[in-house]
Amino acid sequence: MTPPSDTDPDLTRKERREQARTERKAMEAAAAQSAQRKRLIQLGGVIGVVVVIIIVIVVASSGGSSGGGSGLAKGSAVNANVTAVDSVIKGIPQSGNVLGNPNAPVTLQYFGDLECPICREFTLGALPKVIQKYVRTGKVKIEYNSLETATDEQETFRTQQVAAYAAGKQNLAWYFIELFYHEQGQEKTGYVTENYLQGLAQQVPGLNLPNWSAARNDPAYAEQVTHDAQVANAEGFTGTPSFLIGKSGQHMEKLENPNLEEPSSFEAAINKLL
Amino acid sequence: MSDRALRITMIVLTVIGLGVASYLTYVHYSGIPPLCSTTHNTCLKVQTSIYSELAGVPVALIGLIGYVTILASLLVPQREETRFASMALVLVGFGFSAYLTSREAFSLHEYCEWCLSSAAIMTVLACLSVWRFLRGDDAPRAGNPASVAAEPDAGAPLVAGP
Repeated sequence: MTPPSDTDPDLTRKERREQARTERKAMEAAAAQSAQRKRLIQLGGVIGVVVVIIIVIVVASSGGSSGGGSGLAKGSAVNANVTAVDSVIKGIPQSGNVLGNPNAPVTLQYFGDLECPICREFTLGALPKVIQKYVRTGKVKIEYNSLETATDEQETFRTQQVAAYAAGKQNLAWYFIELFYHEQGQEKTGYVTENYLQGLAQQVPGLNLPNWSAARNDPAYAEQVTHDAQVANAEGFTGTPSFLIGKSGQHMEKLENPNLEEPSSFEAAINKLL
Repeated sequence: MSDRALRITMIVLTVIGLGVASYLTYVHYSGIPPLCSTTHNTCLKVQTSIYSELAGVPVALIGLIGYVTILASLLVPQREETRFASMALVLVGFGFSAYLTSREAFSLHEYCEWCLSSAAIMTVLACLSVWRFLRGDDAPRAGNPASVAAEPDAGAPLVAGP
C-alpha cells in the first residue's frame, strides 16, 4: 500500500479537470440563461410593438369610418359587386320595381327593408337560384315592395326606398336593390347617408345620375312606399322578408316561413302554380 | 424537433399562406367574386367591405407582402438575427390577422374562409416562430456560438485526460 502523499499529484490533476469541467458547465449555463433572458426581452419588445401597431390601426380605421360602418365598396371592390349582381340579373327585363317577363304566369311579391340583414341573406342566398331557374326563363316575375323593419328612422327608410324606386324609372331598380344588399353596412349605425346613396347610384351600370336625382323628387315614389306599407299591413306582415305568391293578375297567397338560403320552398310554391 | 425541421415546417406553411394571399390579391384587382362555400358568398361581403383596405392599400396585398418577407427571412442563412426577424414578422402578421378576424366577428358579422385560413396559418406560424426563437439554435456543440457565447476562450480544447 502506497502512502497518501505519493498519490496526491494524480488526484489533484483529476480534481483540477473536474473543477474545470464544472466551471465550464456553469459558465455555459449562465451564458444560456443570459441568452434566454435576452430573447425573452426581445420577444416582449416585439409583442409591445405589435400591440402598438394594432392600436394605431384600430384608431385609424375607427376614425375613418365615423358615422357608422358603411359597407359601401370602394375601388376595385366595386367591380366585384357589380359582376356578382350582373351574374344574377343581367339580361333579365326590368320594369320599375319588377324583375322578369311582364307576362310571366306567376308573380312573387318580395317585401323587404334594404337595411334588413335577413333580407340580405335571402337576396344573396335563395333568390339568385329562383331568378336563374324561374325568372330568367320567363315563368316568374318578382315585384320588390318595401316594408320598414330594420331601418331605424322612418325618414331614412323612405329616402332609401324612394332612391331605389327612382332607379326603376330607368328600369334599373333591381341593380340598385341588389347592390344595396351586397353593400349593407352595420345595422343601427346610420350608415345610409346621402353620400352612401349617391355612391351606390354611381355603381349602377348605365344609370343616368341627373335623371335619377330628379326622379327622387317625384311624389309618385313616396306614394308607392306608402302603398307598400298599406298592403303589408293588410296582409299582417310584421317582419322581413315577407312574400306573396300567386298566378299573375289573380289572388296572392302568403308564402309562410320559406327557407331563405335554399330555393326549395319557393320551387315548391312556384311549381304548384305553373 | 430540430431547428431544421421547424424551419421547413414554417416554410411550407408560409408558402400555403402566400398562395391564399396571392389568390385574394388577384380577386381584389380582377373584380371577380372569390370562391366561397357559403350560399350567399360571405367571402365577397368581407372582401368588399371597408375593412378590405387599409389606407387605400388592399389588405390582401399587405398579406402577400407579409408572407413574402417571412419566406425570405426563412430562406436566408439562419442565425440568431434571422430567427428574430422571422419571429418579429410573423408576430406582426399574427396581430394583423387577429385584428381582421375581430372585424369579421364584431363589425361585419360575416366570415371569409380564405381570411380565416390565413389567420390559422399565421397562428401556427406564430407559435412555431416564438418556440424556435426562444430555444435558440440546436443542441450545443463545439464552435456553436449559442453555447460558447460567454466563454472568453471559445473553441479552446479542454486538457486531455490521462
